[in-house]
Amino acid sequence: MATTTAQITLNSSDISDNTIQISNLAHLYTAGTNTGITETTGLARKKFATASEFILLDFGLAGSQMADITADKSAKVYIKNINGRGDGTKYAAVRINSIEIGRLYGEDFMFFPWKGGDGKDIDIQTYSGSSADATETTVEFCVFYE
Amino acid sequence: MATTTATITLSSADLLSDNLSLSASMNLYKGGTTDTGLDEIKYSRAIIPTGTNFVLISESSALNATGSNYVYIVNKNIDSTDYVTVSVRSEVIGHLYAGDWMFIPFSAATTATAGTDDPSGDDSDIAIQANTHECIVEYALFHDGETLLTHTSS
Repeated sequence: MATTTAQITLNSSDISDNTIQISNLAHLYTAGTNTGITETTGLARKKFATASEFILLDFGLAGSQMADITADKSAKVYIKNINGRGDGTKYAAVRINSIEIGRLYGEDFMFFPWKGGDGKDIDIQTYSGSSADATETTVEFCVFYE
Repeated sequence: MATTTATITLSSADLLSDNLSLSASMNLYKGGTTDTGLDEIKYSRAIIPTGTNFVLISESSALNATGSNYVYIVNKNIDSTDYVTVSVRSEVIGHLYAGDWMFIPFSAATTATAGTDDPSGDDSDIAIQANTHECIVEYALFHDGETLLTHTSS
């Protein structure tokens, strides 16, 4: 087994009267065990310039790494919008099963568990304000799975 | 405005044939701005009993205004079989096993039907359900305002 860790630190000295520092380190284990996850897509980079929603991670796609990700396992997903902040209006909407989870503005990242399931692909669509936008956007992503 | 940073480090010495060391940092800004930091936070700890899907973070029209909020959730249990199921807008995202954490932007978009439990008409609650055993979770919401409820006696 492998030892893989994910650490988060959230810091602010002025969002409250006292300094906020939240820090946590998780070991990436297979579901319900203390056995380390042994598979990963590795870090990937995708550049696109389309206003249409497209599939970034296709759940269960035959012949792909994603075919191994099934419900009740322990996949973890990291996605970062590599673009700069720009004028602050452009973002990549991240969706699962076409439901928007959150918006990655330039330089934002997210890290979350992915249960998967039929149709529960991870999709992306880019926007400028409330309008779909074809500005070239680059994301980096990585999946850890069993 | 406040300055809040989030830093993630993903590392492994033996998952791949070479070291994996990935690190990224970001500032938590208000949506639609270039450098205006979020200046509101809610940081909580809760014991989640098994058997019911609870609203952990309730959507509100104010939260939805800029679509730029960030949520951190950690499962503080120790037993590796204990997990919570996290949903956003009724869509199951995944399971947080003991010790696992997640950090996501949280937006509420589009449509739903307004109701007494859903004033904005946008049911984008973040829900959580403990499965095998009650779970202690800590969670933080960095946000750009939320709808405060008017006291019934006012």
